Amino acid sequence: MSPLGAVGAQQVAQIAEEFFAAMIDREPGLLTPWSQGPITVADPLHAWVGLGTVPASRVQLTTGADTAGALTRALLSMGEAEPVADDNVVDALGEIANVLGGNVKALLAEHVGITLPEVSRQVPPGSGRVGAGEALFAWRGRPLVISLYTI
Amino acid sequence: MRALVIDDSTTMRAIVSEMLGGLGFDTAQAGDGREALDLLESGQRFDLACIDWNMPVMDGLEFVAAVRARRQWPDLTLMMVTTEGERGQIVRALAAGAHEYVIKPFTSDAIASKLVLLGLLPVGERR
Repeated sequence: MSPLGAVGAQQVAQIAEEFFAAMIDREPGLLTPWSQGPITVADPLHAWVGLGTVPASRVQLTTGADTAGALTRALLSMGEAEPVADDNVVDALGEIANVLGGNVKALLAEHVGITLPEVSRQVPPGSGRVGAGEALFAWRGRPLVISLYTI
Repeated sequence: MRALVIDDSTTMRAIVSEMLGGLGFDTAQAGDGREALDLLESGQRFDLACIDWNMPVMDGLEFVAAVRARRQWPDLTLMMVTTEGERGQIVRALAAGAHEYVIKPFTSDAIASKLVLLGLLPVGERR
């Protein structure tokens, strides 16, 4: 049995929708299930946290660099045309992964640790091995993928 | 009222600081527990500390324990603001000396409600 237990795409989706409604969009409904066919993320950025399950698992967010910038502006209540520094984008995307991962962790039967977030343009090693859940979203029409998997 | 926002994420520090500013607090920021402890030890006075749990150098639980162990800041209210949502973790933080606990994600109304409970905002305060 997976160390992630019964946590799957539906739970991940619910966590993400609550987070986006509370802290990014300040209103529900702007993060919606992807319904536009196969999802392709151009110029992707990946953000993830590790969970100390046995074997280890990971919660990963993947979205386009442009979308990551827009997410950062939304989190920081910036104007849509305001320039945003790369460091801020990395921090914001990592914090989103951190909140998603922390809430997934809270659903596990046993207490496990959580790593500090990492952000990269490279797909993290072990990505996509044994997936417990993958939630595909459109945020304001832009593709965004949240994956939960063991490594 | 002065608040110290302790989080390794600059994004989260900015969000919490903006929310607290909207509620009438002056805010300062620290990137980890050690940095926050340095600010306290330098003589800066705060009424509230909002504390993330998972941080490098000194985490939030260690910070809470350090503040309570020194007894130099008895009027400082300690509020965890963290993704650590398991019941056992909440109990650990409260046992270590935290006064309140907010789980990320949160809204400004949730923060305001906790501050009302803590007596740091008047009843009915919402901005």
